[in-house]
Amino acid sequence: MKIVTCMKLVPDPTARLLINESKSWIQETDLSFVLNEADSYALEEALALKEKHGGEVIALSVGQESTLRILRQGLATGADRAIFLSDKRFRGSDEFVTAQIIARAVDKDGGADLVLTGVQSDDLGTGTTGVMVAELLGWPHASVVISVDAAPEERRVRVRRELEGGITEEVELESPCVLTLQYGINQPRYPSLKGIMAAKKKELRKWDLEDLELGDDAVGVSGSMVEVAAVFVPERTGDVEIISGSPAEAAARLVEKLRKEAKAL
Amino acid sequence: MILALTEHENQNFKPLTRELLGMARRLGQELEEPVAAVVLGSGVDGLVPELGALGIDRVFTVDDPALSAYSPDAYLAALGAVTDALTRGPDAGPKGIPNSRRPYLVMAGHAGIGPDLLPRMAAQLRRPLVAACVDIEKQGERLFMTRQIFNAKMHMRVSLRGEAPYFATIAPGAFPVSEVAEEDRVRPETVPIELGEVHIRQRVIGREETATGALDFGSASTIVSGGRGLKAPENVALVVELAQALGGAVGASRPVVDAGWLPREHQIGSSGQTVSPKLYFAIGISGAIQHLVGMQTAQCIVAINKDADAPIFKVAQYGIVGDLFEIVPEITKIINDLNA
Ligand SMILES: Cc1cc2nc3c(=O)[nH]c(=O)nc-3n(C[C@H](O)[C@H](O)[C@H](O)COP(=O)(O)OP(=O)(O)OC[C@H]3O[C@@H](n4cnc5c(N)ncnc54)[C@H](O)[C@@H]3O)c2cc1C
Ligand SMILES: Nc1ncnc2c1ncn2[C@@H]1O[C@H](COP(=O)(O)O)[C@@H](O)[C@H]1O
Repeated sequence: MKIVTCMKLVPDPTARLLINESKSWIQETDLSFVLNEADSYALEEALALKEKHGGEVIALSVGQESTLRILRQGLATGADRAIFLSDKRFRGSDEFVTAQIIARAVDKDGGADLVLTGVQSDDLGTGTTGVMVAELLGWPHASVVISVDAAPEERRVRVRRELEGGITEEVELESPCVLTLQYGINQPRYPSLKGIMAAKKKELRKWDLEDLELGDDAVGVSGSMVEVAAVFVPERTGDVEIISGSPAEAAARLVEKLRKEAKAL
Repeated sequence: MILALTEHENQNFKPLTRELLGMARRLGQELEEPVAAVVLGSGVDGLVPELGALGIDRVFTVDDPALSAYSPDAYLAALGAVTDALTRGPDAGPKGIPNSRRPYLVMAGHAGIGPDLLPRMAAQLRRPLVAACVDIEKQGERLFMTRQIFNAKMHMRVSLRGEAPYFATIAPGAFPVSEVAEEDRVRPETVPIELGEVHIRQRVIGREETATGALDFGSASTIVSGGRGLKAPENVALVVELAQALGGAVGASRPVVDAGWLPREHQIGSSGQTVSPKLYFAIGISGAIQHLVGMQTAQCIVAINKDADAPIFKVAQYGIVGDLFEIVPEITKIINDLNA
């Protein structure tokens, strides 16, 4: 099986985020970036499928130079090769354009049996990229997948997907297809020392705008149909009462309020 | 025209669909666009009267056995049949389609089939999609939408380029359901639309209820939940001790369960349990929509978080901004003293 697994570099979700001067995004200087959590489960799933069925795992990412780090991490963890889609002109792409870049790259690489993405990214976080990739490739997809069973010789994939309220659904899809993988569905392995050494010799291919034969005006801010007007911290709309004081004081005040005011204790 | 894609189960509309329909009506008035609900499924006629009670006067239905279970292929074809009928309908007349009938905005909830289907359709038509919207407004000729980013910690206001139709999914809980006045309740005009032939590449084989229901939160009047802010499995004890002191149950956000710090049945949220206790503690939980939908109907919510901007404070009645490792043991101590 040939499996392409998408990896996105995102700000560390535990970091404190500040808005940049032009209020168009967050301040990225001094911020630490990590592999998008959901993508680590996708990578693990890809590696497990390869162990079972043979084939190859290709780590793919759209990003700037700093993104190379997660692709190397993917190679060290067990991916066979990596595709790095990078061009200054990609900056500011919306999800549709990113999906277009990914779909083009998959095509240019000769297609695949499976493309895996995370269920959502920790920055934009809407889980739309993978679904759009499927449409652009003309493949079926399944989202919020929690387990994958492949029958490569029959060009079929059986997945279990999570619906709301603890209900799951088993779906059979024709392959090639795109799957978006849910959090926490496996135990992602760590790169071994041997893996890190081996990664240095693995192929890491870089493609830019010209390689993908996408027009100048089809990518980045100019290619995006969604234009950012402003990024801001939402106002606290409710009427929360913030209780101040030292930990002991705040705790005492809270308990007092819960007993006397809210009558919740 | 604004099209609102409804979602239903067992002949009932989902709560998020009610939120969607309410906001679609308000938006339609603001933008002076007619609003229609879209109902896809098999045997859906019984659902139409309720739409009238919700103030929706126009309904497009696609009723076909191929739609009895959700599949992206069949549902995309069905939604496409609706938009096609609007742009190419037989009643379009010689002068073409009146502007008011052109699909201007296609909306769905950002849960369930919405985020699975609308991105596909938007990509197919090469039209903009904004997901997890909390606000939609028009300024001049341009449509502006505000969406949640960074798990609701921040908002991003965007404008849409190019021609309609535009696509949006709305964040659960962002648009509260309002009462529909008696005079606004109507008997909707229903337009049935044919599905036609579809090649479906995804087949649902079965459905299963997972073990999430094993823990009975229903009877707990107090639930103390911990999130990723607990940082390590041994710190779950902080939450458990407070729950014990209060005689309540222990809940968790998804990452805590994913990491195996607590069993799956403790998970609260869209893919876990929905609870409505008298008192809910959210400790080290940021307040992502998928968590909020599972607990925001609690009578009294207490949030303890070191980030003053955490979205959980928007639904909380009381909040303490600070380090949970310092605050929670103090609360437990006071409660234990009171109990003694
Ligand atoms: C399809 C789908 C279904 C999902 N279903 C669910 C679901 O059912 N339930 C659910 O919960 N999530 C669900 N999620 C995940 C959800 O999107 C969020 O990722 C999750 O709720 C975040 O959990 P959290 O708040 O514990 O973690 P985070 O968002 O990482 O928040 C941790 C919080 O702890 C605070 N903190 C850190 N250290 C301290 C300290 N020392 N003192 C005080 N505060 C501290 C931080 O400020 C932060 O606000 C789902 C996601 C998807 C895509
Ligand atoms: N720039 C990118 N490079 C690689 N994969 C991406 C990129 N953006 C999104 N993805 C994939 O799409 C998934 C969903 O992202 P999103 O639509 O932003 O929520 C992520 O988990 C990634 O797997």
